[in-house]
Amino acid sequence: MAAAAPVKTLSVSEQIQQLNGARNLALENAVYYDKIVKGILPIIGPSSPVELRRWGAEFLAESLSTPVLSTRDKENLTVAVLETLRSLVESPNEDPVVLRASVIAAASAYPVIMRWIIHNSYHVESWEHISAIKSSIMRIWDSAATPVRLCCIKFAQRVVLAQTASNGTEQKYNGLDVSLNMIPANHPLLDPRALEAEASGLLDRMLGILQDNSSDALFVDATLNTLSILIRSRPGTSSRITSVVLNFNPLKLANSPMTPKNKVLVRSMEKTTRMLLIHLLKRDQGNPLSGRIQQQIERLMRSRAEIFDDANRKRALAEQPAANYGDAKRQKLEVGVPQLQIPPLPPGPQSLATLFTLTNNVGLQGFDVTQVPAPFAARICVKTLASIDQRILDQAINGIRSRLGAFYVAAAAAAAAAPPPSEQQPAPINAETAPLGIDEDDDDYEPNFYAAEDTEQILNKLDTAPPEKPVGQNTEASATLAALGQFKLPPPPSLDAEAVAKVGQVTASRVFGPLSVLEEPPLRKPKAGINRLAASSYDREAWLTLITRLATRSTAGLEDVNGKVKGEETGDALDRPRMALSNMIREMLYNYVLEDWRRRIEVAVAWLCEEWYNDQLTKRSQIDAPLHYEKWALRLVDGIVSYLTAQDKVLTRFLAEIPELSRALLGRLKSLCSDPTTVQLALTTLLYQVMMRPPVREIALDTVADIWSEYEEARPLAAKYLVKWRPGFIESQTRAMEAGNGDTNMAVAA
Amino acid sequence: MEHPNGDASSSGAAQNGQREDAGEYKLKFCTVCASNQNRSMEGHLRLAEAKFPVISFGTGSLVRLPGPSISEPNVYKFNETSYDSIYRELEAKDPRLYRANGLLNMLDRNRVVKWGPERWQDWQIGRPRVEHKNDQGSDGMEGGIADIVVTCEERCWDAVIDDLLSRGSPLNRPVHVINIDIKDNHEEASVGGKAMVDLANSLNKVASEERAKIGASAFDSATGLGRSGFDERVPDVLAEWQERWPNLPSTWTLAWF
Repeated sequence: MAAAAPVKTLSVSEQIQQLNGARNLALENAVYYDKIVKGILPIIGPSSPVELRRWGAEFLAESLSTPVLSTRDKENLTVAVLETLRSLVESPNEDPVVLRASVIAAASAYPVIMRWIIHNSYHVESWEHISAIKSSIMRIWDSAATPVRLCCIKFAQRVVLAQTASNGTEQKYNGLDVSLNMIPANHPLLDPRALEAEASGLLDRMLGILQDNSSDALFVDATLNTLSILIRSRPGTSSRITSVVLNFNPLKLANSPMTPKNKVLVRSMEKTTRMLLIHLLKRDQGNPLSGRIQQQIERLMRSRAEIFDDANRKRALAEQPAANYGDAKRQKLEVGVPQLQIPPLPPGPQSLATLFTLTNNVGLQGFDVTQVPAPFAARICVKTLASIDQRILDQAINGIRSRLGAFYVAAAAAAAAAPPPSEQQPAPINAETAPLGIDEDDDDYEPNFYAAEDTEQILNKLDTAPPEKPVGQNTEASATLAALGQFKLPPPPSLDAEAVAKVGQVTASRVFGPLSVLEEPPLRKPKAGINRLAASSYDREAWLTLITRLATRSTAGLEDVNGKVKGEETGDALDRPRMALSNMIREMLYNYVLEDWRRRIEVAVAWLCEEWYNDQLTKRSQIDAPLHYEKWALRLVDGIVSYLTAQDKVLTRFLAEIPELSRALLGRLKSLCSDPTTVQLALTTLLYQVMMRPPVREIALDTVADIWSEYEEARPLAAKYLVKWRPGFIESQTRAMEAGNGDTNMAVAA
Repeated sequence: MEHPNGDASSSGAAQNGQREDAGEYKLKFCTVCASNQNRSMEGHLRLAEAKFPVISFGTGSLVRLPGPSISEPNVYKFNETSYDSIYRELEAKDPRLYRANGLLNMLDRNRVVKWGPERWQDWQIGRPRVEHKNDQGSDGMEGGIADIVVTCEERCWDAVIDDLLSRGSPLNRPVHVINIDIKDNHEEASVGGKAMVDLANSLNKVASEERAKIGASAFDSATGLGRSGFDERVPDVLAEWQERWPNLPSTWTLAWF
């Protein structure tokens, strides 16, 4: 009792320092535990200062559980401290720290004392002490401070562990192995059946929190984390506990608002439950409920993924800004549309920049976009717009729209100082960002008063917001917003003729852009009949119709009606760049046809039909505008002729289908006759005109006649047709020629 | 009476000199990662510098450090190899490589924090750690028990919880086990270390507050908050901490030693 003696004359802190010294002695050499523990008992009783009681109770808890002492060594120690422990536990209004440590010490003491009683049944006193401690703890279990109640759970677990039958798989240390098996049936003090019944009742009380499906994570976790050894080494409790754990739904809390704290709690309970189940599956493979355990583990993982998936995804992105820059390994490939989070604006005046700011990244929010050179910004914009997902763009636009809506609603509410109708309440309030948030306490939720509360909250917000003038006057915010509507583009720079021509050319070429994209018309398409509407099928043919009409309708205003006049005034050289848009299109149409004339002959025919029609209109309206049909028909034939081969029957078709044939046009065929291979083509084509188009029969025959007279090689074939269609022509020609020849022959002879 | 009295005052003075912050309540921490080299040691050092009692462990089967290639790691036994010996071995093997990848730097730091990597599963919880007096953060850890275990990876948290369930909680002592997901590289470990100190300070503040509510008077007047204890406030602290460190996802449970 050397330690006890000086106490009375020392201050509390000095005593504690002394006690710490004593503790260190015990920590260094376990032999001293016995002496020191017994020595401090007198100064840590209920009448001592609270600091000493705290120190003492904590030291008892440490000593009774220290792994350096064997259970046998602890028996002696534990029996010695029981009375003090009892007085601490029973002391009314004891300090929670003292109580907590005392309950921890009692939990360690319980199996040791039970083992002691089993072998020393005469020591009724110890059993009385521990029983009294037990009933005190049971009494405060529901009413004490939380840290104490948690330790009461653990105390109950030790009682259950000691008072149920063991399967011998637990570690033989620290009293874990003390069980009902050790109690002889005829023990004078301990009745195994009564003890087992008590244990069963305590287990029920422990499991109550799980059976009630409590969401108090602290108690749920504390309970779950005590159950493993009971299930594994106390077969009598195993199936009962396991089925309670399996029926426990740790994710129940996930149905309430996910505040940061609720996230912590839900995650904690789910993970703790799952860890216990996984642990059991691993260490307790004989468990008949293994199948159900496995199922529950999988179910929990799925539910957890569903609940936290969204959050995880967001975090993953925030965590890996590098993912945006091609870190393919870490990139999450997703098909769904990411949801854009657009927090509503806080109350008070806003700058235009905040209105359009969608990012939550503070660094990005501070970025001054005006520092980016305008051309560069434009390129970024164009590229972004080209690649952005339309749905995301829509989300963003709607977000801004609702912000604006919210702004005006709030301003209007302030102006009228009247409660706005509840459905006018703008953008949903995000509980995590709204500064004057809805009361997060779920218990206070009263649906009947919801709307009223909202109105009140809005008004509260407006009250606390910085002074705001009604919308009609120029508040800072509405001024910035109003400036938006009045913006006018600066007038474009004036264009000179050359620039117009250049731009016109580009425009014309753009008109042809879609042709390469549009699909080929199907080979056989149904005939639409007489009621069909041109350019209504939106295929390539329809587009071509559009182009040809664009080129050929002088009424469209694209025609350079005064071209001639200007040409005379300014001279051709200067006038060329001013080529009218319609002529540019014609030029390109011409090139388009010639690029692949065998296949595009239909286009040419259609075009020329339009030209002819246009010429007729021009003639009828007597505008002083140039005519185009003849000119372009000639150019087309000229273009084609040099490429024609004997097989190109399209020529026949082309000439047959274009609306008007002239002498000049047919005259172009003559050149074909200089090549023996194309003689037949030329003449057959002409024959076809002669046979099928009576109006041009005469000029066609004239052409044949010209061929007959100009091309020796073509003469036999031409003669054949002429004999049939212009009888007497050859004879008259032959005679005339012979007359002529006679002269020459004579000359030769002479 | 005279003699022990004088004795006590002298020993008291000596202790005062040793610990300036003796009056201040400090939670005891334990940091855990896979190899007790990078993340847990960063945390160990930071917490020790912040004057918290702290110990650290690894949950892996062996201490694994990067080697010349991914298939040739440097492997050491827990509890039997000192940081210093690992340092000297690697320095002899390829000083350029191990300096470039930061290993030597890390080991150099570790060898002044404590002797060598310790394995969680081999830790006899509650065994006095009086022989670790020279470790940083050993002050206050003599009892060999922590109030808070901080793991640096979900896998380690799982290993710790599984181990605690296996042990059967013989000490009956509650312990908050908190995981903070920290990537295993030097930069992230440094960030994680800072976050750990932030968490420790926040928890300790709450614990000190609760501890300061002395005696039955506080308990008597207890309504709501007065009755709450430290344990109850841990989730709140963690939730607030998580808001401050959104990139370090955390998991928490109350387990038993």
